[in-house]
Amino acid sequence: MTAVTARTLPETAPPQPTRRPRSKTAKWSALFLSPALIVIGVFTIIPMLMTVWISFNKWSMFTSITDMTFVGLDNYARLLGDASRMQAIANTGIYVGLSVLITIPLALLIALLLYFPKLKGKGIVRTLLFATYVIPTIAIVIIWGNIYAPGYGPLSAMVSAVGLTPPGWLSDPQWALVSLVIFNVWQMLGYYVILLIAGLTQINEELYEAARIDGAGLLRQTWSITIPLLRPSLIFVILMTFVNSIQVFDPIYLLTQGGPANSTNVVGFEIQRSAFQYGMAGDASALAVSLFLMVVAVGGVLGIIMKGRKR
Amino acid sequence: MTAATTARRRVGRVVQHALLAIVAIIPLFPLYWLLISALKSPAEFSQIPPTWFPTAPSLDATTTALTAVPFFQSMLNSIIIAGGATISVLVTSILAGYVFAKHRFAGRDLIFWGIIATMFLPPIVTIVPLYYLVSSMGLSDTYLGVMLPWLANAFGIFLMRQFIQDIPDELIEAARMDGAGEFRIVWQFVVPLLKPAIVTLAVFMFVYSWNNFLWPLSILKSEALYPVVLTLNRLMSYTMSFEYQNVVLAGAIIASLPTLLVFLVTQRVFVAGIAASGVKG
Repeated sequence: MTAVTARTLPETAPPQPTRRPRSKTAKWSALFLSPALIVIGVFTIIPMLMTVWISFNKWSMFTSITDMTFVGLDNYARLLGDASRMQAIANTGIYVGLSVLITIPLALLIALLLYFPKLKGKGIVRTLLFATYVIPTIAIVIIWGNIYAPGYGPLSAMVSAVGLTPPGWLSDPQWALVSLVIFNVWQMLGYYVILLIAGLTQINEELYEAARIDGAGLLRQTWSITIPLLRPSLIFVILMTFVNSIQVFDPIYLLTQGGPANSTNVVGFEIQRSAFQYGMAGDASALAVSLFLMVVAVGGVLGIIMKGRKR
Repeated sequence: MTAATTARRRVGRVVQHALLAIVAIIPLFPLYWLLISALKSPAEFSQIPPTWFPTAPSLDATTTALTAVPFFQSMLNSIIIAGGATISVLVTSILAGYVFAKHRFAGRDLIFWGIIATMFLPPIVTIVPLYYLVSSMGLSDTYLGVMLPWLANAFGIFLMRQFIQDIPDELIEAARMDGAGEFRIVWQFVVPLLKPAIVTLAVFMFVYSWNNFLWPLSILKSEALYPVVLTLNRLMSYTMSFEYQNVVLAGAIIASLPTLLVFLVTQRVFVAGIAASGVKG
C-alpha cells in the first residue's frame, strides 16, 4: 500500500511550476523533521520496543543489562497468578471507570452552564476551573490530604456537622480509591470543560432557533441537538479522561503507597514500585505492556466509534 | 402574561447565577483551604473542629518552609529544566509542524499519524528502558538527563501543524518566489503568524515540565538538582507530624505560584489555544 503510493504519487501529482524542484524541499523536509523524529524515536519508540522485549526476560534493574535472560511468557504467567498485581489492574479499571463516569456528565453540565446563558462572571469561573489543572499534582495532594484529614479536616467537620459519622477517607479500604477519584476529577475538570465548550462553539446557532420555533424545550434541544452534535468532542474528552487516569501514579505514590490493604494499588504505581524499588524489570515491563494493550484496546474502540459516527 | 414570562425569566437568571456560584466553589474551596491553613499557627491548625478563618494569620509557616528546604535553588532548577524543555519543544514542533503542513512527499501522512499515536502512550509504560537509556548515556543526575526525553513531543507537532495549515499557501509561495530559503520562510513569515499557538504550547509545556514528578523522581539523585516538586516531596515526607502540616501547605503554595502566575498572565490566549487544539483534532 505504502510502496504503491510512493511510486505513483510523483507521477499523478499535477505539475506545479512555481514549486521548487522536489529534491530541494526534500532536503529541508528531512532537516526540519530530524530533531523531532530523533527525540521521539530514541526516547519514545525505542523504549516502547524495549519494554516489549524486556517483558519476555528476567532482569534485575540493579544489575547490568547483559545479565538479562530470556524467559518467554513467564512474567505474564506470574502476573496472572499474582493476586496483588491483578488487584492493581482491577483497581485501575475502577479508578478509570469512576473517573469517566463522574467527569463526563459533570464537565458537560458545567460546559452547558458556562456556554449558553449570558451570565456575569462566567469567564472568571472558567479561569478558576482551569487553574486547578496547572497546579502541580503534589501540591494538590497536600491540599486534599488536609481536606480529607480526620478530625481537623474540613470534609470530616462538614459531615459531622450534619450528624453523620465521616468515613476515614484515605484510611478506609472502601473509601480510599473513591477519595482518589474525587481528587482526580477536581484536578482535571476544568481542562475537559474547556474542551467541551470549544466543541459547543462549533454547533450552528440556527439549529437551536429552528428547534425553538418548532416548540422544542431546553431538555429536548439538549438531547436532540447538543448531545449528538457534540459527540466528537465528547468522545475526545472521554479518550483524554481515560488516557490521563489510566496512568495515575503521583497521588498513589504520595498519599497511599497503594494502601490501605492494597485498595489503591494501581498499575502505574505497581510498575514503578516493581522496577525501581524491587528491581524486577521483567515483571514491571509485563505490566507495562498490559497497560499499553488496554490503552490500545479502548483507544481503538473509541476511535472506531468516532469514525463510525462521522459517516 | 408578559409579566409572568419576565418573572419566570428573572427566576431563571437567579437560578443560573446560583449554579454558577456553586460551580465556582468547586475550585475555590480547596484553594481557600490551602491559603488559610498555611496562615494558621500550628495550634490553631490542629484544632477540632477546624476554624474556617484564621484567628491570627501569620507568615511563620511560609518562612519556615523557605528555610527548611532549598526552595530557591529548586526554583532555579525547575526554571532551567522546564524552560529548556519548553524552548526545545517550540523549535522542534514549529519545524516539524511546518513540514507536515506545507511540504509534500510520499509517506508524509503515515509518519505524521505515527507520531500522533505516541501522544497516547503513557510515559509510565516506557519508564524502565528510558531510565536504562538515559543512565547508560551517563546522564542520570544531570539537567540534560531530566530534559532529554521531553525535548520534542507529538502534541506540539500536532498543534503547530494545525495552526500552520491555516496559513495560506500563497504567502509561502510568494516568499519562495522572492528567493527566501526555507529557514527564512519559517522564521520571517510563519513564526510571526503563530503567536497564539506559540504562547499556548509554551505555557502547556512549561506547566507540564514544571509539574512532571515521575521522571525526575526516577532519574535524579542529588538534591542540588531537585526541581520544586521533588523538594516539596522532601518537605512533605520528613514532617508527617501534624504540627508542621501548615509548613507543608505553605510549601505547596510556593511550589504552585510560578505555574499559576504563568497561567493567569497568559490565560486568555492559552485557554483559546487549548480549546482550538480540541476542536481541530
